[in-house]
This record gives sequence, C-alpha cells and structure tokens, in this order.
Amino acid sequence: MRVIVVGAGEVGFHVAERLAAEQHDVVVVDVSTERLDYVSSHLDVAVLEGSGVSTAVLEQAGIKQSRLLIAVTNVDEVNLVCCMSARGAMDLVKVARVSNPDFYLEKQHLQPERFGVDVMINPERELALETIRLLQSTAATDIAVFADGAVQFVGLHVTDEAPIANRRLLDIGAEEGHRSLLTVAIDRTGDTIVPSGTTEVLPGDHLYVVVAAGDIGRALTLCGHQPATLQRVMIAGGSDEAFYLARLLQQHGVQTIMLVKDRERAQVLAEKLDSALILQGSPTDVELLEMEGVGGVDGFVALTEVDETNILAGLLAKQAGAHQVITLVNQVQYAPVARRVGIDVAVSPRLSAANAILRYVRRGSVTRVATFKDSDAEAISFQVSASSPLQGKSLAEAKLPEGAIVAAIVRGPQVTVPRGHDVLQVGDTAIVFALPDAVKAVTKLFPS
Amino acid sequence: MNVLEVLHAVGALLVWTAAAMLVPLGFAVGDGLVWPWVASVLITAIAGSVLWFGTPRQISINPREGLAVVALGWIAVVLAGSLPFIFTGVAPTVPAALFESVSGFTTTGATVFPEIEALPSSILLWRSVSHWLGGMGIIVLGVAILPMIGMGGAQLFRAEAPGVPSERLKPRIASTARLLWVVYAFFTVLLMLIYWRLGMSIFDAVNHAMSALATGGFSTRTASLAAYSGAIQWVTILFMFIAGTNFTLHYRFLTGKPSVLVSDTEWRWYFWSIVGVTVAVFVSLGLGGGGWHLDALRRASFTVTAVHTTTGFATADFAAWPSFCQVLLLGLMFVGAMGGSTGGGFKMVRAVVVLKHAVSEIRKTLHPRAVFAAKLGKRPVRNEIVQNVLAFLALYMLTHGLGTLLLAALGNDLITATSAALAAMSSIGPGLGAVGPVSHYGDLGNAAHLILSALMLLGRLEFYTLLVLFIPGAWSKWGGHR
Repeated sequence: MRVIVVGAGEVGFHVAERLAAEQHDVVVVDVSTERLDYVSSHLDVAVLEGSGVSTAVLEQAGIKQSRLLIAVTNVDEVNLVCCMSARGAMDLVKVARVSNPDFYLEKQHLQPERFGVDVMINPERELALETIRLLQSTAATDIAVFADGAVQFVGLHVTDEAPIANRRLLDIGAEEGHRSLLTVAIDRTGDTIVPSGTTEVLPGDHLYVVVAAGDIGRALTLCGHQPATLQRVMIAGGSDEAFYLARLLQQHGVQTIMLVKDRERAQVLAEKLDSALILQGSPTDVELLEMEGVGGVDGFVALTEVDETNILAGLLAKQAGAHQVITLVNQVQYAPVARRVGIDVAVSPRLSAANAILRYVRRGSVTRVATFKDSDAEAISFQVSASSPLQGKSLAEAKLPEGAIVAAIVRGPQVTVPRGHDVLQVGDTAIVFALPDAVKAVTKLFPS
Repeated sequence: MNVLEVLHAVGALLVWTAAAMLVPLGFAVGDGLVWPWVASVLITAIAGSVLWFGTPRQISINPREGLAVVALGWIAVVLAGSLPFIFTGVAPTVPAALFESVSGFTTTGATVFPEIEALPSSILLWRSVSHWLGGMGIIVLGVAILPMIGMGGAQLFRAEAPGVPSERLKPRIASTARLLWVVYAFFTVLLMLIYWRLGMSIFDAVNHAMSALATGGFSTRTASLAAYSGAIQWVTILFMFIAGTNFTLHYRFLTGKPSVLVSDTEWRWYFWSIVGVTVAVFVSLGLGGGGWHLDALRRASFTVTAVHTTTGFATADFAAWPSFCQVLLLGLMFVGAMGGSTGGGFKMVRAVVVLKHAVSEIRKTLHPRAVFAAKLGKRPVRNEIVQNVLAFLALYMLTHGLGTLLLAALGNDLITATSAALAAMSSIGPGLGAVGPVSHYGDLGNAAHLILSALMLLGRLEFYTLLVLFIPGAWSKWGGHR
C-alpha cells in the first residue's frame, strides 16, 4: 500500500525505513532538500520536496491512492494542519505526531478528530512510558506491555549466577509450574531463535520472556537479578521526554531529582511539576552529581538532546554507584557502544515512535505492535474474530508458521501464558511473538 | 501626572459620598439633627461639584494616576465622612471625628465613643454605611456602576484592591466589580433577614449585617454582639467567615461550582487556621477553668473568627484571656483574612506565599543549585509577585514598628501600643491592653487618633497606593521620568 510520510527527521526516517522494509510504497515529503537527499540515498523510498501542509504537494505525492498519511515533523501545528488539509480516499488513516505537553493536560486533551486526525502519537511520551517500565523492572533491557500492562514482554540478560543458567526450558517450566512465565525468544550472539523445550539457557543469553504483571520479580530472580524497589530517580536534562518521565514518576510517588542546564527551562519545569526537585546545573558536573547523591539513586536517566552528554552523564552516574542507568540515544549507531561501555539500557525515541505507528500499518485485527532493540522480532497483539481459521482450535492443533508463537491469551480480565491444550476463542486477544519472516503469514491467520 | 484629571475623579467620589449621606439624613429628622446633616451633605456635594465641573473631563487614567485617584479619593472621602461627627457634636475633638470616620471606611471598627447607645440613630447608621461602602471598596463600587470611568477602571480596581492578583470573573473590569458587589449585597440582605428572624430589631439587623459583611466591627451596642442571643452569635460567626473569604470564590460557589472552595489553597489554609486556633483557644480557656460547654466553644470561635477576619466584633473580653491566647490572637491580627475579601491584614495568601518561599530557601541550603517555584495549589506564583509580597512584609513590619514607637512615645504601654498599631493596620478594631474589646479608643488623645488614622488608611490601601503620593517624582508632569 502507499504511505505518505511528512517530515524526514529522526522519527520520519525511521518510520519510512520500517515501512519500506515491509514492501510498502513510501513517499517522504519534506521542505529540506538536504534531509531528502539523505533519505533517498539510504532508503528505497520516493521523496518529494515541499510543504506537507500544501494540498497540491500532498496530491502530487499521491494522497488519493494512499491509505496512510503519517505527519511527523518536529512542529505539532504543522502535523495537525497537514492532516486537516489532506483530502484523500475514504479509508485514508491520518497519523499526527503531537509532542507538546500542553496538548496532553489532564481533562483538556486535544481532540484529534477535530483536525481530521485519526491517531495522535507522541514519541516523547511513549519514550517516557517505556523508561518508567524499564525502571520499574530494574534489570530489564526491553519492555513492552499489552492488555493495559497485564502482559509484559521483558528482555533480560542471563547472568552467570542465574538459577536457570545451563538448564533446559522444559525443566524450568516443570519447576515453575503454573507461573505465567514463558520464554518466547533467545538472542544468542546476534541471532534470534524461537526456542523449543529442549533448548538450554546459557549464561550471557538474552531472553525475551512473557510474564503476567505480578511475576516480573520472579523472572528477574530466575535470570540472576535482584528485584529492587524504585524510590529515588535522577533525571538529567529538561527535554519533553524528561518532563513526561518526571510527571509519571511523580504519579508513582517516586522521589525525583532533575538536572536542568538552562535556568529558564528549570524555572518552567519547577512551575509545572509538583514534587520533583529541580536543580540548575550541567548533568556532567561531577561535583553537583556527587553532592546530590547520585550514587544512592535507584535509577539515573539521561535525556538531554545530545547523545554524547547522555552517555557521559550515564557513565559518571554508573561509576558513582547509580543502580540502573538509562540513556537516550538518538543516533542508532551509538546504542551498542553505549551498552558495551556500561550503560544498562539505551532508549531511542525513534523506536518508540515506530512502535506507536506500526500498529496502524497492519490494520484489521491488530491492536498493538512492539519491536525490540536487539532483534527484528515483533510482538503483535491480535483480536480473534469469528472468521479466523484458528478460532476454536487448541494451540497444538493450530498450525502457526515457523518462527511465531502465541505468547499470551487475554480473555476478559484473565491472562494466560498458554500451553498446547489452550484454545483460542472468539473475542480473545492473542499476543503473538514473531520473527520478521513470519509476520505476514501470522497476520493472515487473524483476519478482522 | 495630570493633577486636574485626578481631581476630577476625586470630585465624582465626593458627590457620591454626599449621596450616601442622604440615607442617614432621613433618620436625622427623628434625632432632631437635620441641620448638621444638611450641612455635611451640602459641603461634601459642593466641594465635589467644584472639583468635578472645574476640571476637564478625564480622558484616560494611567496606572500612576489611578493610584493617585484612589489615595486622594480615600483621603477626601474620610474627611467628608467625618463632617457629620463634627457638626452633630458627638465627637469630642476633630481628630476623634476623623478617627471614627477612617475607622468606618477602612472597616476597622475601632471607636472613640465609650457608650454607643448614647449616639443618635443617624450617626449609628452612618457608621455602618461607611463600613459597608468601604468594605468592598468605594472606588470599586464607582467602577461597577459609573460607566464614564471606562478604561481607567482596571487601574483603579488594582489600586484599591491590590494584593496578589486573582483571576477576573469577567473580561471587563466593570462587570467583574459589579458581580462582586452583587454577591456582597446578596449576603448582606441575607444576613439582615436572618438577624431579623432571630429577633433583632430591623434597625439593628441592618446595621450589624452591613458591619459584619464589611468585616467592620461597629455595633449599635456598647457590649457589641454580646448583647444578643447565642443563635445570633453563631450566625455572625458564619457570616464573618464568609466576609473574610475571597468574594471571587463566593461567586463561583454560588454559580454552581461548590468545589472551588475546597480546591483553593488559600481557602484551605484560612479554614484550618480558624479551626486550629479556635481549638487551641478553647482548650487553653478550658484548662484555665472556663468550662468545656458549648458556650465556651462559641466564645472561643467567635473571638478567633472576629479577629482572623479582622471584623472585631466582641462577645468576650479577650484582653483578659491568658497570654497564650493573646499571642495567638496577635498572630491572627497580623495575618488577617483572605485576599479578595472585605477583610484586612497581611492576607492569608501572602502569608502562604511567604511561608512556601521560606521553606524553599531552607531546602536551598541543602540543595544550593535547586530551582523552586512557589505555588498556590497548581498555580505557580511568579517571582516578581514573591518579591512584591516580601517587600510588602517588610513595609508591614516597618510601619507597625514605627506606629508602635510613636504610640509608645505618647505614653502608652507596650501591649497597648503594639496591639493598637496592629489592630489599626489590619483593620481589626479592638486590640489588647487599654484598647481591649470592652474598652475604646476615646482616651488616647488627638495625636494618637491621627497616627492611628494614618495607619488604618495605610493598611486598607496596602501601602503602595498611599505611599505613591509621597514620592516626589510622582507629581511632576512626566511622573518622575525626565
């Protein structure tokens, strides 16, 4: 299908990249020739110079034949107006990136339908949500939630001392019994494999497990991590991401300290946030970090605009003794380096945005998609409809394609991490973990 | 500053005051005091007309002129207001008459008369009317109903009702002022009817209702509210509390948003401050042998509310209470009522801002690089406002110190001097010592009357407005910017 992406910034580029990889016809529209040159030299997409706000430009980009319009420039208002002025086919879905926190005030939500916007995405807020989940499950490197948080996909490193190291999944499962804990994938030296019961877990493996929300602590223990409580978090930077995170932490009653370099921005944040302690200073000011007790925090999150500052601040915090260090990394090439030098998790706004958008690419029965950093695999949540060939069948009978696994079944308030004899019923939400090759085949099994 | 334009507006105010004097003039017939009243009305009206017609019609009032109009206007009004006291011969001296007039318009309620019942009814009514006009602001009233003030209204409003800016009820200042006066009048009539139902004479009901809603304190009885039943006193406690609340909140409350009270930070502080001090005073009096019955609770809560709202009605001689209670009451005298109410004092909202700022400063010693924003509820208080409040605090303390010093120089004891100065500035009325609730201000002498009159005006107009008259540059044509 044809997709128009307005805005060739970080988010736009990444979204176009993912869509192009899935064989969609992507047209990227931007006012900057320079950015467009970069896009066309790196991706197999068409580019068009011009303003996405202009109806003429959109028409030239083929809005009439498009099924999806994604407006992800850096300016919220441009994105909104772009969706307003787009006149396309009846089933055109319009997605707008809206980041300004003022549009997300309690009770006064911007009403997207007034602008002809079908979906609003907020990469900064998505990133903050991802970060707080990571903080809450300390050792996790990846986390994606389904069914309003009842089911969580967690990426975990297996330490040398882990109780499950060098044991077969079959045996672990027998021991843990009813516990809703299922290993859906193992990332071993760069390859993602969907394991069978006889697969052995090795120290150094990266596991993707599905757990019910309450069992995360158990999963951490099995992989050799200490489950810790989140009490004190230090945030470096005063970006929108930092603001969203501080507000979430405030809602969770976590003591929050923010380091903001710009004095005026610090004042604005102090006015907007109630309980967070705002400090004016550089996040790489060692003396300041030590004075404010960076060594004693449960989490240190570096969210400034500059990758280098984030990594350096993260390292300083790690060295001082911060328990878990998360940094924002815009440049994707930096992420592995950051992890190698000791940063616990590198988060990327592009990934958050992509997760939010991909869900609307595969419409129909798909309700949510999550992607992971170290792997191309996706977790997709499907609604089981009456026309699905899997409906009424047990998982053992249902033939899922190679490289795909039903990781959880949500039935009303009940969440099951299924075994072979569990049956899919109409109305269930099935959360499927799939390698890239299997995504298309799986999607066919869940028609809307 | 354009002096002529200022005088034009002051003239209008005087004509306005003369009109207000017509109300007690009706009662003067019964008192046999027609001529003194006619003289008062005529002098005021003529002076006002001369200023009004002898000066060019104002075109616009800029902020500096707005301050001058309010400051000069108040001085002119209290001078005119003292005329009936002089001409009827009830006041022993001219300064005493001025004191009584200022005490009325500033809603202080301190009196020079030892025996109130001996006063003619026209004078009693004039005292209450002056309270009522001064309570919501005589100039705010002008803004509300005189269309020609127009553009300058906002400046005048701000100059007469300064403090921490609160949100406007309506986009136009005249509509806002009108709504506030409507709410004010509504509560006054309501209280009047309740008083009447509870057995007060209509005359007493009218006087006390106007006095209570203005947080004034003038009564028609020497014994103040102690002369009436317990039920009347309970009702008075409630309405003093209402008068001490921000009238903007009342409007929202009455127009279907009852939650505004509880969600307002200042209101919560005000409410719990009254409850807390009442309990403390009740326990203190109880331990001192005052008893644990409902009457004792009523006495404690009446006094605390009367002092906190800066009304100054009395049902008990709190000057004779234990020192612990007296110190608490002195504290309340300082803090005063809510901003935007008819009460005086430092204002609860300022106290909250100062307190939060102080806490921030303490936290700053722990985190030297921390950035704080003072907040009232969810609303941030800008730094300039915090600084304004701190300067106001300094002015308040300084003026109070100076007032105490001057009164002490006249031979008053420390408690009398300090409490009288505070009671005047915060527009309470009765103080402690020789000016306690069962006493009066009549014996302090001319000098003290003038000093206290000045303090009352300073407190009512919250310093800045009045002090601007004494800045030399303010009077030059270009307002000091040459």
